[in-house]
Amino acid sequence: MDALLIDASLLQQMLIGALLGISVYLPLRCGQLSLATPGFYAIGGTLAALLSTRVDALGGAEPVYPLSSVLLEMLLAAALAGGLAVGIGRVVLRLRGVYLAIATIALVEILRVTTLNQESLGGAVGIFGIPQPFLDPQGYALFTLIALALVCWLCDRLERQRLGRAMEAIRDDELAAACQGIDTDRTKLVAFVLSAVVAAITGVISAHFLNSWNARLGNFDASITTLAFVVFGGSRTWAGPVIGGLTLTALPELLRPIGDLRLIVFGLVILVGPLLLPQGLITPERLRLIRGLLHRGAKP
Amino acid sequence: MQDLTQLLLNGLSTGAVYALFALGYTLVFSVLGVINFAHGAVFTLGAYFTYFLIGGAAGANGLLAGLQLPFALPFWLALPLAGLGAAAVALLIERTAFAPLRQRNADPLLALITSLGAGVVLVNLIQLLVGAESYAIPTGALAGLPAAVRIGGAQVRSVQLLLLLVAAVLLTLLTLWIDGTRSGKGLRAVSEDPTTARLLGIPSDRMIQIAFGLSGFLAGIAGGLVGLSVSIAGPYFGIGYGLKGLGVLVLGGLGSVPGAVLGGLIIGLAEACVPADLSGYRDVVAYGFLFVVLLVRPQGLLGRVLPSKV
Repeated sequence: MDALLIDASLLQQMLIGALLGISVYLPLRCGQLSLATPGFYAIGGTLAALLSTRVDALGGAEPVYPLSSVLLEMLLAAALAGGLAVGIGRVVLRLRGVYLAIATIALVEILRVTTLNQESLGGAVGIFGIPQPFLDPQGYALFTLIALALVCWLCDRLERQRLGRAMEAIRDDELAAACQGIDTDRTKLVAFVLSAVVAAITGVISAHFLNSWNARLGNFDASITTLAFVVFGGSRTWAGPVIGGLTLTALPELLRPIGDLRLIVFGLVILVGPLLLPQGLITPERLRLIRGLLHRGAKP
Repeated sequence: MQDLTQLLLNGLSTGAVYALFALGYTLVFSVLGVINFAHGAVFTLGAYFTYFLIGGAAGANGLLAGLQLPFALPFWLALPLAGLGAAAVALLIERTAFAPLRQRNADPLLALITSLGAGVVLVNLIQLLVGAESYAIPTGALAGLPAAVRIGGAQVRSVQLLLLLVAAVLLTLLTLWIDGTRSGKGLRAVSEDPTTARLLGIPSDRMIQIAFGLSGFLAGIAGGLVGLSVSIAGPYFGIGYGLKGLGVLVLGGLGSVPGAVLGGLIIGLAEACVPADLSGYRDVVAYGFLFVVLLVRPQGLLGRVLPSKV
């Protein structure tokens, strides 16, 4: 039973990793290297921590925190992060390539340092005793799995639609896309906002699961680790970041038996991965192949 | 007046470290167009190299517990040697994290990830070998120099003056090299256009290696000096400087050498001006500057506007 409990919380962390991977993937699908995901993740987490511990009407005192309150927090976090992303996105998305990456790193750091110094946002200590909507990790893992499945389904729909194809076109050649009549600014902004919403919702789930929240959860390290999910898994279809997030979150835990060497091996994986698989693990072509095989396997 | 001198010197010496740091980014960025995220780890290594070369002993928590070199070099000799060691590591990073991507014509953005991987490996290797504790380079390392001197009524630590002096000398030498020598011109040609440079007979790969070597040397020296002036706060202490360095880099203009120096000094001085009761927000200064500059003048203070190509 003990082993099962540990596995469920590892699974939960892996699912969170997959969701964050999707958040980094969305802007990258239109060629925008935004590292703002941990910032919006922190916004969602801080909001959930504040609301659930300070607003009594949400039911923080009850033995089991109502699921409806969690959903309400997710809604509010999505609205807040989405609104902020519209404002910030309009400004930062004028930047290209590495400039956008640095601007978003700066954004994440400004948010982190501000949270760290504002006692009302938890300060350096953080917020503790966040009420639990589920009493065991299995409940969390199931809930997050449903959220992930929903996000994946939406991404799959998006990729087949006009908007998703427009994103791909901008990634391949922004100028050519604009010449074809694609509103490139609007498409990039939509991707940025969707990315922020996914990250903020993930933050809400994470805050409850972790039981406490502090500013260090959204830092530069998180920016890079989440980017690694996408680069490792592949950035051309939603399945890439999901696989990347699942495996790279599990990797340090699975490597625990080798002790202190595990982070060195993790670093080597990030170092060698892009060299061996420049397109990432999952490409649309490979995905189609897998789907074909599954289809054929199911028929006879 | 006294306070102002103090403030100015504090700001300038912090700024000098930022400038050295950002110059390393700039050198690599100018030839490759990417940011080397392992740079912070090279800086950290420089500090540890200095510590061991002047005869420091490893703590009890790493694989190398209690290790001490059989000799103790004076600081003025240990620092450049540590710089060379850091340069060698930077060259190794170029070979493992950058060169293979170039050979495969891969997306340059992948270098962000591979260099970060190299950084993670280095930082954790340090932790494995010598533990996570902080190390202080004894101030006695500067034998013969008084701990502090009085300038215009202000007490100034000799370490700070040394830092400023070393940074000024290195920056002057670097500028002279880039502007005045054949290989410096080669570097500028490669940063202008690697393909054309290669067609004109300039060994691009060689220039890239020189850029990495120099950036590692500067980072190593900066690490050693910061280690002496503050202390080595564990394997991760380069990361904060690494992020600040990014701010400095953008403020001055990506790829611009005088820009990196100016950006470093501006941010160092601005941080020194943050009043003590708001010191928690000191770290926001660099990023705030960075953000405003990116929006108002994305090419940086001294950068050039590149025409967008069709």
